[in-house]
Amino acid sequence: MHPSLRIAAKDLRQRVRDRSAFMLAIVVPFSLAAIFSVLFGPAATPRAFEYAVVDHDRSTVTQTFVTEVLGALERQGVATITVTDEARARADVRDGTLDAAFILPEGFAAGLEGEQAAQLQVVGSVDSATATDVARSVARSYVESIDAARVAVAAVGAARPGLTQDDINRVAEETVHGAAPVTLDDVSATTRVLDAKTYFAAGMAVFFLLFTVQFGVSSLIDERSEGTLARLLALPVHRWAILLGKLLTSVVLGIVSLLVLVVGTTLMLGASWGDPLAVALLVVAGVLAGTGITSIVASLAKTSEQAGSWQAVVAVTLGLLGGSFFPVQQSGGLIANLSLATPHAWFMRGLSDLAGGGGVEQVLPAVGALLAMAAVTGSVALLRIGRVVAP
Amino acid sequence: MTALVIAATNLRRTLRDRTNAFFFVLFPLLMIMVLGLAFGGENDPRLAVVGSSGSPLARDLTSALAHVDGVEVLRLGDRDDAIDAVEEGRVEAAVVVPDEYDARLAGGAGVAVPYYSRSDRTAQQVGMIVRAVVDEQAARLRVARTLQLELGGDLGANVARGDVVAARFTEMQVTTTTVGTAAFPADLGRFDLTASSQLLLFIFITSMTTAAALIETRRLGVAKRMFATPTRLSTIVAGEALGRVATAVVQGLVIMAGAALIFGVSWGSPLGAALLMLLFATVAGGAGMLLGAVARTAQQSIAVGLLIGLGLSALGGSMMPLEFYSSTMLTVAHATPHAWAADGFATLVRHDGTVLDILPELGVLTGYAAVLFVLGAWSLRRRILRS
Repeated sequence: MHPSLRIAAKDLRQRVRDRSAFMLAIVVPFSLAAIFSVLFGPAATPRAFEYAVVDHDRSTVTQTFVTEVLGALERQGVATITVTDEARARADVRDGTLDAAFILPEGFAAGLEGEQAAQLQVVGSVDSATATDVARSVARSYVESIDAARVAVAAVGAARPGLTQDDINRVAEETVHGAAPVTLDDVSATTRVLDAKTYFAAGMAVFFLLFTVQFGVSSLIDERSEGTLARLLALPVHRWAILLGKLLTSVVLGIVSLLVLVVGTTLMLGASWGDPLAVALLVVAGVLAGTGITSIVASLAKTSEQAGSWQAVVAVTLGLLGGSFFPVQQSGGLIANLSLATPHAWFMRGLSDLAGGGGVEQVLPAVGALLAMAAVTGSVALLRIGRVVAP
Repeated sequence: MTALVIAATNLRRTLRDRTNAFFFVLFPLLMIMVLGLAFGGENDPRLAVVGSSGSPLARDLTSALAHVDGVEVLRLGDRDDAIDAVEEGRVEAAVVVPDEYDARLAGGAGVAVPYYSRSDRTAQQVGMIVRAVVDEQAARLRVARTLQLELGGDLGANVARGDVVAARFTEMQVTTTTVGTAAFPADLGRFDLTASSQLLLFIFITSMTTAAALIETRRLGVAKRMFATPTRLSTIVAGEALGRVATAVVQGLVIMAGAALIFGVSWGSPLGAALLMLLFATVAGGAGMLLGAVARTAQQSIAVGLLIGLGLSALGGSMMPLEFYSSTMLTVAHATPHAWAADGFATLVRHDGTVLDILPELGVLTGYAAVLFVLGAWSLRRRILRS
């Protein structure tokens, strides 16, 4: 057997014996997938928003808002509504018991008759930005439909004076009900954009990768301090073969652990990674790139303790820069461009390209970039390896 | 005193290495830049608009979209360009006004306006804004259709009629305010994940995955030799711990200061933020120490460290804002130090809080640190005595 393979096999056997291989390759990714699925997956139900409504006007109009508009929210399970007084509502929003409160002022209905504006107030909690946004939307669309009815009635009344109450009701009814003439049609699913869960799973996977593949060159450092490296070098084995064997261990561990994570998140979290062959290609290319990067970092270290702490810093920073935790393109040109130096950005770009359907051909650019990264970093590491392997 | 000597020796050993300095200075600087550009300053989300200039109603919708507040609008020529822009992340969302907009409306049918967006929170908020614009136009058209029904005539004329009448009305307003001293964030909360939660993640993960350093010290027998001296074990432990916590604290402070001064990232009251970060770094150091005392090999400690580091950070709100947690998940989250630290930062940043306002959170974090260090010291003692 080729010496590299033998070295890799020995290392993997050692890892299996100290159970770290098992942990890294299977337990950790599986547990992470489980935790993520608890947080974001099908099991996690978003909580209903807590709204209150304060009705100072007590007119039919405001009562309709409470029972119909807000009532519909309650029936759909989007929010729970409490009817309360203003002081109580403000206090509850301030201390966080409520997400937001709707306040209907006195004279609201009366204001509708004339051409003066009435005001609907939404008081929101700074800690519940989304809930307040939703409340604002609900209020705004209600207000809009009322305004439309007012305008329609006035316009009809101007052309045909002497409208009866029945006429008014009919005109209002016609305006407010019935299908909307223009609607917004969200067709994002057809684009090559990752859905939230898969984005998250992919970001975590590639972040996690830089930790699992760091042991290749680090173990060389360990062997040097333990004295076994000298013995390895005394063998009629080229030093490159030794390095290759070490790197092979990293690559195997990396691929296995990533695959466990992919399968785990697909089953438990509901992430959709795409065409399996393309994903496998991306995984292999990503692992190679990650191994190259961690090899360079390790080749700069004198002890494996040093290597370990640097790897951590590098992994977290590259993870942030590469978009593992939040999308970096929004931060503007400089960061977006810098992120292209990270395997994270390319890995997720490859997956995004796959998101709109298609197979291997979609991921070729990303795979190419990752392999190029692996080649460059691998070469630099190999050049430096002379220093590491020197007894 | 001896503890300080041990800590100082560790630090000196660390800093003497030039490459060490490279990693401990360069990368935090990179982090500052990422955090700063992501969370500092005022960046509006971006929307691509593909308009149809032919017909009047389509022009109205396009114009309304192009002039909407709070979003940076990019006018593009066709649908494919817009989709590309969304996929590449150059814009958060794109809306395409169809060519047959006027024709369909005139014929009495409804029109669907295609909308493409990324799946993150900012894009969702852009969606709300776009929907509001579309709803406004829809309301205008509803009026026109009613007028068509009641008064006859074509759509265009009735739209004009409706507009004339509407101009006499002052629109009903929806005003949004907050309670308390903090102003409601006018920006759309570009990222709900705050800079502080990312900082907490960084500190905790680096602490957990560098726990191997303690194993190294054990292996080297340094710990054993220190124990042979007339120094109490608690002092040795304190010294070890101090060194590691100090590194984390310095890094954290540098990142916070850098991001605040260079990019205007807000951390809240400086004293409160520094204290909060200090205590959290101590908790992270304690957790790292306990791991380093208990794990058998470096690889083991990294595997476990990563699992606990990522797992606790995820549960504690570093990856999804606590705002969205269900009440059961919130209780679970508060078993982690992260959630408490995140609450502290939320009070400081969103409620303009001071140190007094975050005393409960500081207290809880102190408790965590105390427990972890006691456990860590006890485990370390057992390890050293046994070997």
